[in-house]
Amino acid sequence: MPHVELEAIGKSYGPVTVCHDVNLSIEQGEFVTLLGASGCGKTTTLNLIAGLDDPTTGDIRMEGRRVNELSPVQRDIAMVFQNYALYPHMSVAENIGFTLRVRGLRRPEIRARVEEVAASLELSHVLDRLPAQLSGGQQQRVAIGRALVREPKVFLFDEPFSNLDASLRVRMRAEVKELHQRLGVTSIFVTHDQEEAMSISDRIAVMNRGRIEQLGTPEEIYASPANRYVATFIGSPQIELFQGVLARASTGVSLRIGAELLGLAPGLYAGAPDGTKIDIGIRAEHVRLADHGIPATVRLVQPVGPSTHVTLDWQGGTITARLNGFARIERGQLVHLDLDARHLLLFDSNTGGRITANGPG
Amino acid sequence: MSLLRSSFGPRVADAGVIVGLAVFVTWSIAPIAWLLLSSILPQLSLIDQPPDISFVHWTLDNYITVMGSAATLGRGMLNSFIVAAFTTAVALALGAPAAYALARLSVPRSGAVVLLILATQMLPAIAIAIPLFIVISRLGLIDTRFALIVVYLSFNLPIVIWILRGFFLGVPAGLERAAAVDGAGLIRTFWMIVLPISIPPLCAAAVFAFIESWNEFFFALILTRQNAQTVPLVIAAFAGQYQTVFGQMMAAAVISVAPVILLAILFRNHIVRGFADGMLKG
Repeated sequence: MPHVELEAIGKSYGPVTVCHDVNLSIEQGEFVTLLGASGCGKTTTLNLIAGLDDPTTGDIRMEGRRVNELSPVQRDIAMVFQNYALYPHMSVAENIGFTLRVRGLRRPEIRARVEEVAASLELSHVLDRLPAQLSGGQQQRVAIGRALVREPKVFLFDEPFSNLDASLRVRMRAEVKELHQRLGVTSIFVTHDQEEAMSISDRIAVMNRGRIEQLGTPEEIYASPANRYVATFIGSPQIELFQGVLARASTGVSLRIGAELLGLAPGLYAGAPDGTKIDIGIRAEHVRLADHGIPATVRLVQPVGPSTHVTLDWQGGTITARLNGFARIERGQLVHLDLDARHLLLFDSNTGGRITANGPG
Repeated sequence: MSLLRSSFGPRVADAGVIVGLAVFVTWSIAPIAWLLLSSILPQLSLIDQPPDISFVHWTLDNYITVMGSAATLGRGMLNSFIVAAFTTAVALALGAPAAYALARLSVPRSGAVVLLILATQMLPAIAIAIPLFIVISRLGLIDTRFALIVVYLSFNLPIVIWILRGFFLGVPAGLERAAAVDGAGLIRTFWMIVLPISIPPLCAAAVFAFIESWNEFFFALILTRQNAQTVPLVIAAFAGQYQTVFGQMMAAAVISVAPVILLAILFRNHIVRGFADGMLKG
């Protein structure tokens, strides 16, 4: 039985629909991330799961039980908010212990639980301080501590690291992942940062305009995007698309890109008829430079440490290659592209849907 | 040349601001300075044309005389204090939850309600004086502090609601959401989270209501006779039918404004922050 289940969830504010028919099934102990650009409905979906907002249509179930009408506390969830939402007039200890106080626990018990959580988050020495006297990372930990102390069944994280600087974000990410591995509590995480989502999640739901475009493991999302949106949203450098037409001949199937003809393995793409207009993409790491192949000119060279991103102009448009280390290549240099057909991602130009080797995906 | 020009502009602007502020401060302080000066001058110096304010005439006689009739002034101050304190307390006790409800709950037609609350302030006092007098008199409440408290609430409560609502609108919704996730209901969230972080606007609203009640003259004049007379009426009584004892009147006024000024000084930081937050976000 799934631990958290969204069934045909819709949410509208007046005439504006924010979530359309969202279906999501999360297993016990799983770490699932809702990933998408701002305004895609991911935080709204999280608020619906939390019970901070009511869905317009559909059902939310936890452990098989419908929870639409239950308050956040009755759902036994804990949430870490984007701006931490620490109570500014309360000390760290009071912030962490507030939920226990509300539940009517006795002071010694509250103190014991708060101290235990604080120790696990290295906050013991700041328990008497006010939130304003803490660093960003410490505030973040207090917010997590406030969620931890309740020992909830589900953790919800609403872009918890977006206010932190880059290095601290990476560290907190690791801490949250370790925490999840240690406690094994079902967690739902919202972010717009694809790298964060990839590194932390068991599964990712990519959202766009209130819909889940694809739900899968980080590898599935990256290597087998369900559609054009997911392909371009995931991956850095961003995948570049160029137009082509599927050409069928007795010798096999090929892609016509301008004057170039790129051969595909025979028998593949059987579902797509001759002349189908196709958007083609290929991840930067699969673009190789070779002695022979499609001519291209180097437009931009960006070394990023472990690799070098090289932007190239060719007759299909623009394409980016990721070369190992500090590549010895210069702007204006003439090179040849070797595009491995096995790594091409093909999308129907009209629908944006993926066309897999076995037909429309 | 360009350097001269670039520094000349800001310097003129700075000077303009300083002159403007000086005029404003003088404008605000002049009546108080004149009040203080008049309170230490004898009657003769004050009625001279022009008034003779030279140092040699300065005296504390007015204060001594006013203190001599301390019973009247003392009773006036006590009445004023009780009326102002109760008005303030009730205005906050009722106004804060009302403002929170209007800021955060889905009150039907809340916009209209807020406008209506403000609209009550637009009636001139004189327009309601006679009906109010009749009602209070029929209820047998003439010359009681209770009547003054009820009447003062009618114009302080809307202002308190207006100030606090503006502030509550600016309280980050995340705090209330966090409290909901932590298991706090609406009342507990209001009491334990929202109110404690609203000390500045609460102080601003309290000081405002207190000063308004303390200084009110018109309704006190028509609704009281002797027992419930407040400080402004006691001061006014120094203007007799045949002679107005200006110096004593001013001395009494100085004594009466002292508590209010003290209050404003004590809470000045909260007042400034409270008004800034409440008014700007309203």
